[in-house]
Amino acid sequence: MTTVALEPNPLREGLEQERVPDASCLVIFGASGDLTHRKLLPALYSLAHDGLLPAGQTIIGFARPDYGDEAFRADIRKACNEFARTKPVDDAVWENFAKGLFYVQGDFTEPEAYNRLNQKLTECDRTRGTGGRRIYYLAVPPNFFPVIAELLGAEGMVTDPERGGPYTRVIIEKPFGHDLATARELNRVAVTTFRERQVFRIDHYLGKETVQNLLVLRFANGIFEPFWNRQYIDHVQLTVAESIGVEKRGPYFESAGIARDIIQNHMMQLLSLVAMEPPVAFEADAVRDEKVKVVRALRDFPAGHESSSAVRGQYTAGSVLGEAVPGYRQEERVSPTSRVETYAAMKVFVDNWRWADVPFYLRAGKRLPKRVTDISIHFRPAPYPLFKKVAGVRTQPNVLAIRIQPDEGIALKFDSKVPGPTVRTAPVTMEFRYATSFGAEPPEAYERLLLETMLGDSTLFARRDEVETAWAWLDPLLHVWEESPEPPDPYPAGTWGPPSADAMIERDGRRWRRP
Amino acid sequence: MSDNIRDAIAGEEVRVDYNSIEQTLAELWRIEKTEGEAVTRAALWNVVAHASSSEHHTSASEILGRASIAVPQRTIVIRTNPEGPPEMAAWISANCHLLGAGKQVCSEEISIVAGGDRVERVPPLVHALLIPDMPVAFWWVGDLPHENEAYVRSLLGPADRLIVDSVHFDSPEDLGLVQRTGERTSTPPADLNWVRLDEWRAAAASVFDPPSMRGRLKTLREIRIIANVTDIAYFGESVEALYLASWLVAQAGMGVDDSGNIPDLSCTFEFRPADTRGILRVDLEMDGSSAAIERHPERCVLTTNVDGQLNVPEALLRTSRKKVDELIVRELKQPESDRLLMKVLPSAIRIARRRSAA
Repeated sequence: MTTVALEPNPLREGLEQERVPDASCLVIFGASGDLTHRKLLPALYSLAHDGLLPAGQTIIGFARPDYGDEAFRADIRKACNEFARTKPVDDAVWENFAKGLFYVQGDFTEPEAYNRLNQKLTECDRTRGTGGRRIYYLAVPPNFFPVIAELLGAEGMVTDPERGGPYTRVIIEKPFGHDLATARELNRVAVTTFRERQVFRIDHYLGKETVQNLLVLRFANGIFEPFWNRQYIDHVQLTVAESIGVEKRGPYFESAGIARDIIQNHMMQLLSLVAMEPPVAFEADAVRDEKVKVVRALRDFPAGHESSSAVRGQYTAGSVLGEAVPGYRQEERVSPTSRVETYAAMKVFVDNWRWADVPFYLRAGKRLPKRVTDISIHFRPAPYPLFKKVAGVRTQPNVLAIRIQPDEGIALKFDSKVPGPTVRTAPVTMEFRYATSFGAEPPEAYERLLLETMLGDSTLFARRDEVETAWAWLDPLLHVWEESPEPPDPYPAGTWGPPSADAMIERDGRRWRRP
Repeated sequence: MSDNIRDAIAGEEVRVDYNSIEQTLAELWRIEKTEGEAVTRAALWNVVAHASSSEHHTSASEILGRASIAVPQRTIVIRTNPEGPPEMAAWISANCHLLGAGKQVCSEEISIVAGGDRVERVPPLVHALLIPDMPVAFWWVGDLPHENEAYVRSLLGPADRLIVDSVHFDSPEDLGLVQRTGERTSTPPADLNWVRLDEWRAAAASVFDPPSMRGRLKTLREIRIIANVTDIAYFGESVEALYLASWLVAQAGMGVDDSGNIPDLSCTFEFRPADTRGILRVDLEMDGSSAAIERHPERCVLTTNVDGQLNVPEALLRTSRKKVDELIVRELKQPESDRLLMKVLPSAIRIARRRSAA
């Protein structure tokens, strides 16, 4: 069956929000969880506050605890008051928002619960004009995904415009598997019930303004692209540093480690956006086609010599931001003999025409001195050292630093003559800061991503092949680490990682940039 | 650091020689860099405000000072009086605000006052003070001048946008002047009264978002608008309602004829005297359905109801009467002037003339 595209609403012309989603029922599986309370519902409330949700948009919490609609609403109002960008909650906005907020109690493994859920959905179609459109947000551990997908399919709760029905979309949270095999299995299960374009794999990094700005910086400005290659760039550094430890996520982190938690997903996204070729269009598949080519071009770690390009560490007791903190092995619900890495640093190469032999140094860690995500492009020095014989001149390579969070912005470092009768140089920076130039607080990543799902635009979501290709690249290294009798290199909390990470980059005559 | 410079950084207006405004500003930031802590000078726009009275001058300065928090800018406020004594003076100051963690962001403000034949020297001076490679918005404070077009044209020369507020307009002819400026110069006009309609437009658009409502705009038969006005005889207060009606008509694909009538559509306005002005309610009648958009001043929301055969829940949009600085910020945050205003202006002028004639 062919679907007929609706003509655009002429009254939307020129308005800030030119595209508005049709009202749908968004079902949150795991509605009693932390993610729902801290991120999802506050994000949806903020969208409502800003007038970005359509009339009739309906949200149904689905979880095991025995709540009613009113208790759920009271609970969510409290959460919005604490976590929403647009807090405190506005009475009038809340009143309208709460009219579309419902709760269905049920066990994810019980067909009867789906029956109740389906009845509620049908009722909402009738009373709220949601027209059979469904979005299922799986805010649940990945082991629930197969049974949820199977029961949704079995109960006839999945429709597709190409098969003549309204749309159904499913949002999956990371981790997208534990390794390549489990990721493939997860994807196999998904496509038994959903088509790939119905699956929205959320990586909240892609919802961040600064991450999206990477595309704008590279492809909306004429000056950067000519220099964005091996001819002009010496190396690239990517840092995802967290000052916090594992908090209450000990058991999860024990099974994951920093490489699975950060590098396989967030860092791969950042690396892809920095290294990708220009897409043929700013459309979901065109952008993702180019991103996946980058991951596909990643050089394998040298077999048997992995430690020359990959270092892992684990924090010991120390102090962060003036507070004494325990070591990883002393954290709650963490094994006292754990060999899980809380820090990883890697030297990787993108083996293609543009990036041949340009190293990308990646590092991610917990209990580092501060929370910062930063990309720095280090340019080659000037081709001829004109000032080499001039005393007082020590030229330094140019660096373009892109700060993803916090204090988002871009800075370019270059040398300048120090005023005076002699030639002396000093590095100076030209800086752009989002907060200085644009003032207003940007929307939360989840706001953008939820809205994009409602609009059916998957540009900012990971595609199946991206996920599997990243696992295929990382898996051998993880396997080596798991098999290795050596524990991760220790580093005191509050430092920038183990000395072995410094040694890795210093062997190449380079140093980690202090972000 | 001289006391003068200290005062400028503290936000005080400091009189400077108008020949060396740029030089003094440079000195200000050099000193700040040496002695101050974490101060950033920022600018995304050059905003030139033209005032014809000291009252307007003060008001423009305060408004743009507040606006510069959201949109950093070099502000130039000029006040001219061709009938006054032949003199010219300039002042500088800085509008600073804390960004957090002790960091300050500052925008510069320059005031120029000129009288007599010195007024002619103002446009080239202003042009010289514009920060290069930054867009220029020209805000004409108060009513538009119907005389001295050459002066206005020379001021508007480098402007990327002309901002007016038609709430101060005396007659439909003022709207005509805005339209002509848009047609005859390369400076697109922006009207704060049009910006005031943002939420109303979003609410009206939401009525026609559901797929089942999408085609019904073309069957629009009647528009009724109720608005509060503080002075029922003052033309400017009716412009917001005129714009809204003209926009609905234009986007529904209908036209307003030269006599101000709209074939096959009834368009009525009710203006009610009140302490605060603003649209209260809009009723739309289409084939087979009707819609109402209503402002609830005490709840600060717009609600939208669709009746008839269709089942669309009430929609709600947060709204409040925006202050002028907030309207200017909204306008400056748009990368381009809203071209729809130029589409709506001719219809609004025709409807306004018909109403004036009646």
